[in-house]
Amino acid sequence: MGNMGIPFKKIGLAITFSPTGKALLYEAGRLVKLFAAEIVLIHNGEKTLEAETKLAELIESAGFNFSSVNIEWVKGDIADTIINKAVEKNVDLLLVGALEKENIIKYYSGSVARKIMRQAGCSVLVLTSPSETPVSFKKFCVSVDYSMQSENAIKTAYDLAMLEKAEKLILIREIQAPGLAMTVQDSGSMREVELARQTWAKEEKDKMEMLIKEMNLTEIDIETHCLYGKEGYEANKFVEQINGDIFVVPAPQKKLKLFDRIFQHDFEFTLKQIPCPVLIIRNPGK
Amino acid sequence: MSQLSSTELFQFILAITVMLGFGKGFGELFRKLKQAPVVGEIIAGIILGPTILGYFFPDLLKFVFPESGPVGYSLEAITQLSILFLLLAVGLEVDLGILIRYGKSALITTFYGMLIPFIFGFAVAFLIPQFFIDNPDERLIFALFLGTALSISALPIIARTLLDLNIFRTKLGMMIIASAMFNDLIGWIAFSIFLSVAEGTGTGLSIVSPIVLILLFTAVMIVIVRKLFHRMIPWVQKELSWPGGIIGFIMVMGLVGALITEKLGMHTILGAFIMGVALGDSVHLRESTREIIQQFITNIFAPLFFVYIGLRINFLTAFDPTIVIIVLVLGFAGKIIGAGYGAYKGGFGKNESFAVGFAMNSRGVLEIILSLFALEMGIINESLFVGIIFLVVISSILSGPLIKLSLGKDKLKGFVQLLSSEDIVISNAVSKRDAVMELVELACSKHKLDKTNVFNEVWKREESLSTGIENHLAIPHAKIDIKKPIAVIALNKDGLNFEAADNELSKIIVLLLTPKNENELQLKLLSEVANLFADKTNSKEIINSDSSEEILSKLVKIKSRME
Repeated sequence: MGNMGIPFKKIGLAITFSPTGKALLYEAGRLVKLFAAEIVLIHNGEKTLEAETKLAELIESAGFNFSSVNIEWVKGDIADTIINKAVEKNVDLLLVGALEKENIIKYYSGSVARKIMRQAGCSVLVLTSPSETPVSFKKFCVSVDYSMQSENAIKTAYDLAMLEKAEKLILIREIQAPGLAMTVQDSGSMREVELARQTWAKEEKDKMEMLIKEMNLTEIDIETHCLYGKEGYEANKFVEQINGDIFVVPAPQKKLKLFDRIFQHDFEFTLKQIPCPVLIIRNPGK
Repeated sequence: MSQLSSTELFQFILAITVMLGFGKGFGELFRKLKQAPVVGEIIAGIILGPTILGYFFPDLLKFVFPESGPVGYSLEAITQLSILFLLLAVGLEVDLGILIRYGKSALITTFYGMLIPFIFGFAVAFLIPQFFIDNPDERLIFALFLGTALSISALPIIARTLLDLNIFRTKLGMMIIASAMFNDLIGWIAFSIFLSVAEGTGTGLSIVSPIVLILLFTAVMIVIVRKLFHRMIPWVQKELSWPGGIIGFIMVMGLVGALITEKLGMHTILGAFIMGVALGDSVHLRESTREIIQQFITNIFAPLFFVYIGLRINFLTAFDPTIVIIVLVLGFAGKIIGAGYGAYKGGFGKNESFAVGFAMNSRGVLEIILSLFALEMGIINESLFVGIIFLVVISSILSGPLIKLSLGKDKLKGFVQLLSSEDIVISNAVSKRDAVMELVELACSKHKLDKTNVFNEVWKREESLSTGIENHLAIPHAKIDIKKPIAVIALNKDGLNFEAADNELSKIIVLLLTPKNENELQLKLLSEVANLFADKTNSKEIINSDSSEEILSKLVKIKSRME
């Protein structure tokens, strides 16, 4: 079933001197070991001796060898410089910290983390509560839409779950039929509408089971869930309710703009309220 | 406050009882006949009104449905209220997110699907007004009316047709729904502007300020008030009784919307509709709440309104075949050409574009409401009103069959409908490879495909993971460069080793070829085939067949049994 999984061989992290920045560095350290990857640290600021010393202390405290770490010094708009540097350095995975929810003005104007999530040219792992004692992800949730990007997301989640020795991989398919309630106007039957919904849900479950077989995902316990409601919102709510450890989503296929924030749909719901660590799978160069 | 006398109260309750009873009765009858209930409700009105009842028993008509006096006014008020709630219900189902998601193709379809019928209606009305109206000097406002009336589609009928045809959740179905929603949104704003222009022409007021006001009102409601509702609805659903609390809240808000627009000098219906949009877009509004509201409005207010339409007009005296034909031709041609062309421009194929055109050609309550207002304002006469009613009835009846015709059986149904007896062979192959080759040759000779390429793709997939499934089934498959899915079957009574999970030999071998970029279609067909044979007795039934015709007829029976 197409090109499978995306190896994260080069991890990018925008490094700051804040406590969250330090925690993110520890998280990055864990991932670097897990993927046997290389790390690229991007620091937005003037390259001074003081800054360099401070950075060296921080980096070494997280277990990295300062002299062997690739540090990129950039200046300008924080989000833009990180996104551009990641592209330039062929980063496969960008690690960012983000608030679960931002205030209304920040959400609409677009914060650094949200901008990276929307616009990065590679996959992005968003951590809402990074820790200096990072733990592995045990419960993986993946959003399914059967696109190639979605297949990559499933395969990546599967590979990652195997590495993490995860307990469970949960595939989530959302279905929505706007205007369906209106058909009761014509049929007069809520039972018929409910039946249609149940049939669709069964079809989706069958398709997901078939997808699991097709992709030969046999080494881990996989659950499938079909949710009815607004796509994006329902999956987000579900992941929150079941205390998912990581939510893997394919990146949106079109560039999200202000209009998408006003009339939210799909991925924008996740950006509005991040339910847990989110891994956005994007094919490099897309 | 003056009260209705005992006789008037009796008359009023009698009128409502008869309207509701006949309306619901005929609606249900038409539902049983697989037709839109709205058609039955209109016919109930025609029977109860001057056309039939009034013709034979004019005094009885006057007694049960007085046109004036307290009872007449009360009935009129009930009708106005029905219109508001109908519009609230339409607004509740407009999903702004889906409009953004299907943005470009839905927008293009809507644009042409409204522009072309508008031009058709406007041009004919403007160039030959004498056919329709007595005073050609009022041709501009009349042309605006006809253009607007012909450009609106009926979401409930479209949704119902798509559900019946089992294409609601396909890409095509969702695009049609998104376009119909766009159509509603733009149509009602255009309609409100039309009403402002119509009212403005009498008073000599500028038409610019009402247009600005309407657009401003819509923007504020959709951008700001919608967000407020988004925060309020969880509280209402949690703290107030359910479903009474939320239903009451929505109905009251609909009326508040009507009051605001009335106060601002716009028509009440715009307020109710836009309030519906602002409320209905919330992710917190439960699906069951929507359905209960639709049920309530549909079963109480819709029959009252549609029966009232029949009561108002004598369809026999107002029937003008020329006008009916002109309206039908304009309506059908404009919508089918416009929406079809829009869908084609939006990236759909020829047949699918026709299907979009036929679907969007469904007309319903909105045209009737618009025409009723135009009739009451003296913009149109009763003959044209009857013409519009005919357009509504005929377009809703024909919508489903025309979509079916344009899509053909393969788009509408699944695996079994892909097959004919020529696609089934009794195989004597002795190896898995031979059986796959035999099926590939069968598929390629019929569909003129390169068998080496197809075999390589199928075999590559087969080697990566064998496709044997339980109950003697195997589904070798591949995605190749084709436009429509292909299925062929081989029955091999000796059985071949496809490494099935139950270690049984595979005797029913289904080769499934699907278009390269349609992952979901492949999964759908694969799971459909697997489900078909999930029951061992179904496999046995097929294995005990002796000819391709017998296999096909058994498959059709199994499929219909499962449905």
